[in-house]
Amino acid sequence: MKQSVQPSMKQKFGVRIMPREVILDTQGRAVEQTLRLEGYPPIGVRVGKYVELELEGPPDEARSTAEKIAQTLLHNPLIETFILETKE
Amino acid sequence: MIGIVRFPGTNCDRDVAQWVHEQGDSYKFLWHLDRVADLSSFDALILPGGFSYGDYLRSGALAARSPVMASVREYAERGGAVLGICNGFQVLVESHLLPGALVRNENLRFIDDWVELETVSERGPWGENLAASPPTLRLPIAHGEGRFYASDSELNRLEERQQVWLRYVDNPNGSRNNIAGVLNEKGNVAGLMPHPERAIFSWMGSQDGRRFFARGGTKSHAGRG
Amino acid sequence: MAGAFLPVAAPNPTLEEDDMKEKLKHYRISEAEYERIGQLLGRAPAGVEWALFSALWSEHCSYKSSKVHLKKFASTLTPSVASAAGENAGIVDLGQGERVVFKMESHNHPSFIEPTQGAATGVGGILRDIFTMGARPIASADFLCFGETKADRMPQLVDGVVRGISGYGNAVGVPTVTGKTQFDPTYNRNILVNAMSVGLLLPEDPVALSAARGPGNDVVYVGAKTGKDGVHGAAMASESFAEDTEAKKPNVQIGDPFFEKLLIESCLEVIGKKLVVAIQDMGAAGLTSSSFEMAAKGGLGFELHLDRVPLRDLSMGPEEILLSESQERMLLVCEPAHFSELAEVFSRWGLDAVRIGKVRSAREMQIFWHGEKLAELDPALIVDQAPVYERPHGEWKSPRLRRADFSSARGARADAPPSTSAPTPSALEATALQPTALQPIMEQRLKSAAWGSRESIYRQYDQRVGGMTAAGCDHQIAVLRLPRSHRGLLLATGGRCSWLKRDVVVGALDAVLFPSLQMAVKGGYPVGATDCLNFGNPERPEIMTEFVASVEAIRDVCMALRIPVVSGNVSFYNETLGEGVTSTPAIGLLGLLPQVGCVGGEAATGENQPGDFFQREKSKLFLVELPWVEEENKLEWRLMSLAAAQTKSILSGIATQLAAIQHLVMTNQILSSQLIGEGGLAWGLAGFTKSGIGFRLERSTRDLVKDSLYQMVFEVDSRRQPDFSKLRALGLKVSEIGHTQANLIEAADWRMKVEEFWNQRRATMTELIH
Repeated sequence: MKQSVQPSMKQKFGVRIMPREVILDTQGRAVEQTLRLEGYPPIGVRVGKYVELELEGPPDEARSTAEKIAQTLLHNPLIETFILETKE
Repeated sequence: MIGIVRFPGTNCDRDVAQWVHEQGDSYKFLWHLDRVADLSSFDALILPGGFSYGDYLRSGALAARSPVMASVREYAERGGAVLGICNGFQVLVESHLLPGALVRNENLRFIDDWVELETVSERGPWGENLAASPPTLRLPIAHGEGRFYASDSELNRLEERQQVWLRYVDNPNGSRNNIAGVLNEKGNVAGLMPHPERAIFSWMGSQDGRRFFARGGTKSHAGRG
Repeated sequence: MAGAFLPVAAPNPTLEEDDMKEKLKHYRISEAEYERIGQLLGRAPAGVEWALFSALWSEHCSYKSSKVHLKKFASTLTPSVASAAGENAGIVDLGQGERVVFKMESHNHPSFIEPTQGAATGVGGILRDIFTMGARPIASADFLCFGETKADRMPQLVDGVVRGISGYGNAVGVPTVTGKTQFDPTYNRNILVNAMSVGLLLPEDPVALSAARGPGNDVVYVGAKTGKDGVHGAAMASESFAEDTEAKKPNVQIGDPFFEKLLIESCLEVIGKKLVVAIQDMGAAGLTSSSFEMAAKGGLGFELHLDRVPLRDLSMGPEEILLSESQERMLLVCEPAHFSELAEVFSRWGLDAVRIGKVRSAREMQIFWHGEKLAELDPALIVDQAPVYERPHGEWKSPRLRRADFSSARGARADAPPSTSAPTPSALEATALQPTALQPIMEQRLKSAAWGSRESIYRQYDQRVGGMTAAGCDHQIAVLRLPRSHRGLLLATGGRCSWLKRDVVVGALDAVLFPSLQMAVKGGYPVGATDCLNFGNPERPEIMTEFVASVEAIRDVCMALRIPVVSGNVSFYNETLGEGVTSTPAIGLLGLLPQVGCVGGEAATGENQPGDFFQREKSKLFLVELPWVEEENKLEWRLMSLAAAQTKSILSGIATQLAAIQHLVMTNQILSSQLIGEGGLAWGLAGFTKSGIGFRLERSTRDLVKDSLYQMVFEVDSRRQPDFSKLRALGLKVSEIGHTQANLIEAADWRMKVEEFWNQRRATMTELIH
């Protein structure tokens, strides 16, 4: 049974931030180069970052707050995209 | 003869060459792709500062996996004297030739400044060289990821075994135990964040960088495997 | 494809007028320019030609509004300038085989859109201009103008720009040794980010040029792969900001200092081995400008196969490839016999070198895409025949002669609430006319970013990589010790917003004079200048008038001081929604010091180097003022005379005065020397107490706060008496104004511990940049 909203309710989110496809990914390029030197076959590497957020409040509200945080602070829309995931 | 290891992105290689030259020693550059079977003809190896492989992923992480580092490891295991400066220190740490980790400065910014250092351990060729002179020295720092980190137990072990080589008098970057430089257990491998090669003439602001070489270069101390 | 719009042979008579208007707008080509293209080609442009003309005829690439005026700098050239006309940067011969290559360039618009990447790619671009000539970059400087800290986005812009410069410069291993950071409301919506780079050629280093030679030679592409970065960027930079910067997203170029470092080392290696016939970096308008300019300069043509260009994004078409502004790429010409050796060098540095075409003897650029010829035209038509505009401008008149405008401008600023706004020098100037107490003025300044310490900015720059830095950002000017001759190479920037605002001609003269005087008080002299002219919309006559007046003022003062202006850059359209910045000509000045000494060395042997900070307690402090600056309480009169008819006669005396100051410093035991040019003596000298030593000044409050263009102060051991007779004979006023003392600043009613002064000054900036 689902419980009703509790005051201390916590929700975890994950924000996956990646360089925009059209933008040069300098880190990915450097890692790829090293892997090639180590003898791995040609591969594509892209390097992003992952941020975990823990927010309090009703799920919908928390999610929209997380969305806002990711949108305005965690990613730079000029050079990055992000995916917001809700975690257990 | 001193071997100076260059990775793509190393940028203090020429400065270190000037430093070695000023000490009256000769040098040879080693390229990151060189897998040299025998480095025993070198009196010491130096890994200069810079941004090897752009410092991408983690500082020093990609360089630590380059072919030349396998040769450096063998040289170090045979007791050869190895010194890593700034990014070279990060590479040695990433190669596990030196303990700990170097993470982003506490203020999350690159810091260029002058620092006062205390010599702590006098072990090994690098420790001995500095021991011969006053207990403090003045050198410049220039790094974004120079905060020395190790777990409590590891820090205790380092202190006990006298592997802490240099300490900041005024901690600029949040390093644990004010650590600016460390040694390996044997004392033949050393790493430090400050740049001794940038303090070798009075017009540079300090000549304390000259104290890292014993009289007549490092020859007397170098292990030849 | 764009080619669908028009057939190659003749204009399509059925093309709708609206479509044509749309197309002209898209390519940012005016109707008059379209007609000119038609006349030059003998037909309408077709296919990729639209993109070619659009890029190369943009203000950014063609300098169409400024060219006629920039020619005036030619009269400043001296025999020390090694010929490099039309090259990427200027070369000055320092003698003894040492030559320096240097240039300053703006990256204002990209930095406003994305500060970190904008500033980073600005640094990367100017470095390529230097090493493309075969010179190893040894130092960078920056000239930054930001708005008030409370302006929209300003803290992020400051932080981002500084991160961009430090992130790129530090990684690439070129020290940032000096610079200027100014805060003023005029830059609230248009910041200025100008980067300067200096390269050194040792006696054995060959100079590489960009003019293509040798039909049959290979055209080689090296460096990073081409992506969609900054497509149409050059055209964008030539436009004023509309409000929708969001829509310009795809223009952001990403810089990679790691790749740049590889490019520096590999290019210098192939140039040193003489494997290169010609080389140029792919800067604004990328492959288009580099290939067309190299061919046009050589009076030749290229055959270019765009399908051979290494791509990061395989969906790119020929037009995008031509216009891409992906960073860290170079185009070079080499003899076919040398290609494999050349490619081997690049491969060792992990870079690709790809043959994308051939040099042709005919003056025709042939552009191919998978075997299909997309265009064939004379490169000179696009490069040399670009339109040149004599934009309307008027006779420049000092604002002092237009008093009404001046007082209203000043009044507006004085109205700003004092608690939140930085007290601008103009506002203070009003206070200075009837000062009662120093203390409140100083307290107010200690709370303002405009007067704050710049340490938190330059502490992020690696100032010592390269092993040549004798004095970095902490000092008034940078000093690098040249590796062979051991002389000091001096580097300083000029262009002070507060003076430019009052009078652009005075400000332009000052942009050269201030750094020249800074060099003189250290015993050095200027040897060459580069400029970066930041202005608003050149289509406005009042802006153009200021532009022309500034160029002429810089020319006049450089001729008087025998400083060749060897390179430069113009940035127009620094305006948003019709509001332009204060005209801001910036100067990068290089100088020489006969010998790099140390503070406290022996003057007689040339080993003394006056410090910047006070050296000892109880030293005497002497104030030296130039005759044409000091005119008690008649600031306006003085500026007017400087900028008007008397300018030339005043300037001709300056060279002698500068030489006399330099001589004084070289032959006397000067402990420290300072040039103050803003905020008055008390504030100015307080800035030189970083060593912990303070001072006591014996002057009236009014004298201590009086804003003056130039006040030189010399610290001398109390037992010595420098020989000021020559200065006095030249009309300079010398007076003893006080002495140094332990850790206390004392000037009129202002008393403050040195440590407290620095704590407060640093705290102000730390709020902005931690």
